[in-house]
Amino acid sequence: MKTFVEIVARPGPGGLTVLPVVRASGQLAVRRTGPTTVHLVATAFGPLGGDDAEVSLVVEEGACLAVRSVAAAIALPARGAIAPSAQRITASVDGVLDLRLEPTVVAAGAHHLAGLTVDLGPAGALTATEQVLLGRTGEEPGRWTGTVRVVREGRPLLNTTVGLGPDQPAWLPPVAPRAYASTVHIGDDEADVLTGDDAVRLPLPGGWVTTAWGSELHRVVRAATLLTPGAPVRVPA
Amino acid sequence: MNSALLTLADSRLPAGGHTHSGGVEQAIAAGVVHDPGSLAAFLRRRLATSGAVAAALATAACAAIGPDEGGPEGDSVIADLAALDVEADARTPSPALRAASRQQGRGLVRVGRRAWPSGAWNALPALPHHPIALGVAAAVAGLGPRDAAQAAAYLSISGPATAAQRLLAMDPLTVAAVTARLAPEIDAVADGLHGHDGPISAATDPLLDLLAEVHAARKDRFFAS
Repeated sequence: MKTFVEIVARPGPGGLTVLPVVRASGQLAVRRTGPTTVHLVATAFGPLGGDDAEVSLVVEEGACLAVRSVAAAIALPARGAIAPSAQRITASVDGVLDLRLEPTVVAAGAHHLAGLTVDLGPAGALTATEQVLLGRTGEEPGRWTGTVRVVREGRPLLNTTVGLGPDQPAWLPPVAPRAYASTVHIGDDEADVLTGDDAVRLPLPGGWVTTAWGSELHRVVRAATLLTPGAPVRVPA
Repeated sequence: MNSALLTLADSRLPAGGHTHSGGVEQAIAAGVVHDPGSLAAFLRRRLATSGAVAAALATAACAAIGPDEGGPEGDSVIADLAALDVEADARTPSPALRAASRQQGRGLVRVGRRAWPSGAWNALPALPHHPIALGVAAAVAGLGPRDAAQAAAYLSISGPATAAQRLLAMDPLTVAAVTARLAPEIDAVADGLHGHDGPISAATDPLLDLLAEVHAARKDRFFAS
């Protein structure tokens, strides 16, 4: 099934963001839930293998847009299908985009492709978080391949593809985590390198990227949060 | 022209690669690498991520110079190589890995200029990433983009394998066998780029980023990376 979502955010009166364009078809609906916030709502089970979702976000200069989802997405294998499910998010940002969807759980036998391509203008700022769990409770891990490409005014700032799950490049014992979380932030606040237990923060021009991995998602998310600039300093035990 | 490829991939080419362990020193400290089996797993994930990216960048840099001896050094080549260098940065957010790549790039340019004099070297940015310098080296040595990819993929594991052998005092024959058995996978990385005109691979391994940064902060390390 094909899913299309298109959202345009424009600055409105009194700091409000107006959304002159909100379109959604297929497996996602868009609900406005706050002055600058929308939630993506899954309207069907899945995604299943072969499903393809394209999300296009435009944040105009002076506008803020926060994108959330209401529940974890569970990628499932389709019967007989070998094609992965895919979700491609493309954003053109001259304002502020805060993209934090609920985790993606990839069921055994499923392969999910997640793409995020962000084109930042001179005043554009971005925070985007990805949370992944391979396999439901007691289940073998599925496969997840996530690509992030962030470009500011034509210059690539970050371009990485992480493959998790059986037969994936960066997933070989003894380091084959079921849970993964990553946040990329680009604004005007750089942060230096910081390392943790199975977690690392790396500097980017005008921002940073944190990555954490492990066996349980809630611990991984906590480890990544500890590396977020401004987070309370952890006292060694 | 295969002899030039052998020279380019030879660990005895004094390009400075021997001072880098490709993350192996820290992988050993972290307990990730401790025997031939775990070394093979580490090399495999390195080959499939940073090795594949290096191969893709080296191929593109070699193609940017073109097959002509000496190659053009016009503005378009300079711009192409600079763009590839920026793409390498975007794929290498770890400052420690960036520094390691640029150090090895500088070392290769130094020996390459003497070995294969050409105006094409002048098209490189100052302190180029190693794969970009390697692509230029391949071109001026009369090799093609596939050769550049093969050298980059091979070098992504040969140096780390030797480092592991030295640090763990492993049997050299065993380590040679581990490396030799990866030959089909090295070839597959190079073959996968043939006729590929999509985006340059961005495969990454967050474990390598973490190991590199923890390693760079150490005072007691033997290798530069």
